[in-house]
Amino acid sequence: METIEQQFKNTPTTQLDKVRVEAFNAFEKLGIPTSRVEAWKYTNIKTKLSKDFILTPLESEVNTAVKNYIASLPPYAFRLVFLNGIFHQELSIIPEIEGLYITNLKEAFANKSSNIEQYFGKAVNYNEEHFAALNTAFVTDGAFIHVSKNVAIEEPIYLHYFFTATDADAFVQTRNLVVVEDGASLQIAEDFRNASNITVQYNHVTESFIGKNAQLTLVKLQVETKNVKGIHSLEALLQRDSTFNASTITFEGNVIRNNITAQLLGENAHADLSGLYFGKENASIDNNILVKHLAPNCTSNQLYKGVMNDESVGSFSGKIFVDQIAQKTNAFQSSKGLLLSNEASINNRPNLEIFADDVKCSHGAAIGQLDENALFYLQARGIPFELAKQLLTYAFVHEVAERIQAKPLRQFICDKLKEELKLNW
Amino acid sequence: MLSIKNLDVRVEQKEILKGFNLQINPGEIHAIMGPNGTGKSTLASVLAGKNEYEVTGGEISYLGKDLLEMSPDERAREGVFLAFQYPVEIPGVSTTNFMKAAVNAKRKHLGLDPMDAKTFLQLLNEKRAIVELSREFTSRSLNEGFSGGEKKRNEIFQMAMLEPKLAILDETDSGLDIDALRIVANGVNQLRNKDNAFLVITHYQRLLNYIVPDFVHVMYGGRIVKSGGKELALQLEERGYDWIKEEVASLA
Ligand SMILES: Nc1ncnc2c1ncn2[C@@H]1O[C@H](COP(=O)(O)OP(=O)(O)O)[C@@H](O)[C@H]1O
Ligand SMILES: [Mg+2]
Repeated sequence: METIEQQFKNTPTTQLDKVRVEAFNAFEKLGIPTSRVEAWKYTNIKTKLSKDFILTPLESEVNTAVKNYIASLPPYAFRLVFLNGIFHQELSIIPEIEGLYITNLKEAFANKSSNIEQYFGKAVNYNEEHFAALNTAFVTDGAFIHVSKNVAIEEPIYLHYFFTATDADAFVQTRNLVVVEDGASLQIAEDFRNASNITVQYNHVTESFIGKNAQLTLVKLQVETKNVKGIHSLEALLQRDSTFNASTITFEGNVIRNNITAQLLGENAHADLSGLYFGKENASIDNNILVKHLAPNCTSNQLYKGVMNDESVGSFSGKIFVDQIAQKTNAFQSSKGLLLSNEASINNRPNLEIFADDVKCSHGAAIGQLDENALFYLQARGIPFELAKQLLTYAFVHEVAERIQAKPLRQFICDKLKEELKLNW
Repeated sequence: MLSIKNLDVRVEQKEILKGFNLQINPGEIHAIMGPNGTGKSTLASVLAGKNEYEVTGGEISYLGKDLLEMSPDERAREGVFLAFQYPVEIPGVSTTNFMKAAVNAKRKHLGLDPMDAKTFLQLLNEKRAIVELSREFTSRSLNEGFSGGEKKRNEIFQMAMLEPKLAILDETDSGLDIDALRIVANGVNQLRNKDNAFLVITHYQRLLNYIVPDFVHVMYGGRIVKSGGKELALQLEERGYDWIKEEVASLA
């Protein structure tokens, strides 16, 4: 890391560089967390990542897995394609729409587009968050999306991140920056895929700024993520009357960590965070949520459901923080788990920190197995045991998919769920 | 069709059925009556294959096969149907999708392709009409928030969809008002033919005004203690079960 360090020490000329140097210095202090760090209690990430990871971008060929997948996408989908963190313009479709500005981060940095300096590194807490610091210092590339005031973008924008890591120690740093100005609306799907058979490692950050009365829907897809060690940090700053909907869908993955922080900064803002995850083999799937109510009359909702198989371990940590000025807060949290094997487990850790007195907050957690009586009822109608289990699993999780506001994305997830559970209706 | 010989059944170390015998032939309707806790639902559950019931003696043959060797879903695909005394609520699975899975499981078993969407919908609407369930019910989550009567009608609807060879109705009439009772009975009577059979478990004679049984059996202490024609049900209605209990006691 010597040379990169030099590079940072030498060139803190622009505002952007200053942020990156700060983040670099922070990471030097923070390092990779051990499981003694409270927030990383359930994922001993230090032992899971390779020791001497490589942060320099890896040029790699667009393989057939990537090509085939791209070819299977509907032709109208707006998309940006990244392979091992490197932007591929030739695979991307970027619409020319009035009030919508999309480019890759590198390009935006170079051109200082849309005041990117005003936003980059401003939603994420790189002074305390280990992986946010690392990412801020070493980000390779990602998407920059800016929606101007009062512009509604109807079609979802797909951000495809493919990984084929040619080197087992590669640790790819990707990042999105999303700005939705006052009164505007946008839907984004972030799709992460392992396009190889080997283990890949990445660290992704999305910063989002949601203006007054604006709406952002973000669906994070970890659907083709076998052998993935992926760390995600999603940061949202919500101004008054704005809405943030985030759905995190994890079908597979070896080590998956999803951090979400939503800060409700203005009155009447609403954050809806939901997720569903499946654990297989020895997977570790860890969702870590922080909702900060920092203004009165805001609402937030968390709904997470996990289905764990084999020896997989799921974790849900959900914190609701209510500042003393945040009166009339409504904040709810529910985390439910279904254990399909005796060796699987889920750690549930709700946490309420409330400093206002006129609030409605609740959390609920339930972990269990499939209901024997329900299974028997299905079997008594001729439905084979395995199918009965799949049907009931679908019944358990589909509520999360149904909450996705954007219809094409909702349909996509419902179809994927049926595929995953081998249900053909 | 069904032959139960000397059946002994236990649940949690407790003997519930003791030397139970019953023979049912195609085209017949049998009614079983008896006081609460005597083992009627246990019999129904054992026939459907619920695994918490342990068969410690005797045998059950169904269409020439050993029923006890078959899994619950296999039994259902072979034509055994149980209308549950307490139908289960399953949030997130609509009655329509549930029936689609059930109908197609049976078709697969018979070596047929899944039913096409249009034919399925026609079948669904036709059978729905028999039990006077609205379209809305079949699209809602299975039994979730249904009233007692709606749940029972849903059971009969499912029976009509699956056209079983042997249908066991466990107190389908309990808690039904007279209209619902007529609807349920109508469902059974429409299905009834010379090739299938019904085992109707009930407390009340009134259902048997609508579904006329060929045989009425009285169950007490885990076995059938008296059998007769439909007039036996009237007798029980009038006199209760005490005289039966006395008869059993005097024989012991
Ligand atoms: N799953 C079970 N666990 C324990 N006891 C049971 C179970 N099912 C039935 N029993 C007992 O077996 C006896 C017969 O019950 P049941 O078959 O439901 O009677 P019926 O339907 O005639 O009212 C009762 O004493 C009941 O408490
Ligand atoms: Mg009973």
